[in-house]
Parts: sequence; C-alpha cells; structure tokens
Amino acid sequence: MIIRLVSAALVAGFLAAVVATGLQFALTSPLILKAEVYEEQDAKHTALEALPFAGLIVHAHGGENHEHGAAAEWQPAPGFERMAYTGLATLVGGVGYALLLGAVMLALRREPTPEAGLAVGIAGFLTVALAPAMGLPPELPGMGSAALGVRQAWWVMTALATGIGIYLIAVRRVALSIAGGLVLIVAPQLVGAPIVIEESRLPAALAAQFAARSLGISLVFWAVIGLAYGWAWHLFGERAEARRSHA
Amino acid sequence: MSTSATLQTTTTAGSSERTRAIVVAALLGLGLVFMTGFAPAMALHNAAHDFRHTQNFPCH
Repeated sequence: MIIRLVSAALVAGFLAAVVATGLQFALTSPLILKAEVYEEQDAKHTALEALPFAGLIVHAHGGENHEHGAAAEWQPAPGFERMAYTGLATLVGGVGYALLLGAVMLALRREPTPEAGLAVGIAGFLTVALAPAMGLPPELPGMGSAALGVRQAWWVMTALATGIGIYLIAVRRVALSIAGGLVLIVAPQLVGAPIVIEESRLPAALAAQFAARSLGISLVFWAVIGLAYGWAWHLFGERAEARRSHA
Repeated sequence: MSTSATLQTTTTAGSSERTRAIVVAALLGLGLVFMTGFAPAMALHNAAHDFRHTQNFPCH
C-alpha cells in the first residue's frame, strides 16, 4: 500500500510541478525579478545608514551586489540555474504535498478517484494557501514584514486550525462539529496575522498582481495534485492487479 | 504494496498496513514540505526562493 501511495504521489507531484513551474515562469518569476530591482535600490539606500544588515538582505536575494563578499551565501546563478532550482523546489514541494494528500485520503478511507482527489486537493488549497494568505498575503521580495519566526508560527497554526476545521465541517458534518470547525477556521483570522505594513517603493499594483497570481497558481497546483493522484492511484492499482493475475 | 490478496485490504492485516502507510507518507510529506518551505539553511532558502514566494511560505 505504501509503495502504491508513494508511486502515485511521485506522479502527481511531478505533473503538478510541471504545470506550476510553467505558470511560475510565465506569471510570478518576472514580478519577483522586478521587485528585486526595487529591493536592491532600497538595500543600497539603507546600506548608507546600516552597512551590516544591507549586505545580508542583498545576498539573500540574487542581487549582483557582492561588495560585502565575506557574508556571501551560495545562491543559484541568475537565469537558467535559478529557474532550474525553482523547478526542483516546486517538484519537491509538489511531491511533499501529494504525499500528505495521499495520507489524508487513506486516513479518511476515501477511495482515491480523480474526483475525490480533486476535492481533497481543493481542501489542501484552502488550508495551506488561501487561509494563511488571508492574513499574510503572498509577498514580493523587499516588502516590509514582521520577524520570520513569528510569521511562520502563525502560518503553521492557521494551516493546522483550518485543516482540522475543514475536516470537522466536511467529514464529520454534525451541528456541533460544524460549529467547532467554523470557530477553528475563523479564530486565527480574528487573532490576526503578524503583519507589518511599511512604506515601500515597490508599486502596489505589482504586489497586488503578484498576490492574485500566486493564489491562482496554488489553486492549479493543488487541483492537479488531487486529480493526478486519483488517476495515478488507479493506474498503479491496475498494474498490480495485472501482475498478480499473470503470476 | 504487499503481495497479499486484494480482498485482504479490508481485514485487520490491511488496517495495520494502512496505518503504517499513513504514518510513513505523512512524515515523508511533512519532511519534504518543511525542506522546501521552511528550512532555515540559507542555501535551501536561496534555492527554493521563488517557489517559496509564489507558494506563499513566509520568507526572509
């Protein structure tokens, strides 16, 4: 069973990564590159006031500003190498999400058809993409924000609460669990995300476009993961059947 | 996948196999998602940078 699950997750993660990587190159990567131009300008500005920090910010971001070379960390070269690593990260992330989707479907004892996969995939999108984005919208490099650890903690807490909330509403489906589920989904949003709104030279339209495109890509990513997982699960099931009947 | 008969998946033997599959897949999945979305190592952050931004993982 585990081999069938992992095989289906590899196929689903791969197909989703191919689609999402293409969409990222076409829709979001160009916006990230534009934003990095503003970010570098800002970093140069602050460099005049606070040298050590400016060096760190620039190095984390694919800028060509290597004058503080001592603190340089490895990063992919601009162009093809950077695109290849983006594709690789999307593949690893896609397989990871597909494995989680497979584990959830198995735990729910749902037969992974493409339709059921799509439903769980949409739930996955709501859980890790839309709900956290309501508080912490997808950010371009260089936008002001609260400390990383605090944002990650809110992100994980929101995703957990939303996931359990969706489970209570969609799977349990009794009055009490629905009420509890709604509370879990709404609570993190009421508590509020650790968001910092800062003046930035980054045009607002660029940031808004990025946030919308990012969520759109996440939706497609999750839809393909769910559909493909259901398809691949049956594909590997039929193969095993065929092997058994030949044996 | 074991070589056990298809009918067996609904029996108790199938259910412990199911539990094991759920745990292994969940841990593996969480590990991969952590690596691409949250791992603090600078090299991993830089490699996955554009993916993290697009998939809305908190970055920097």
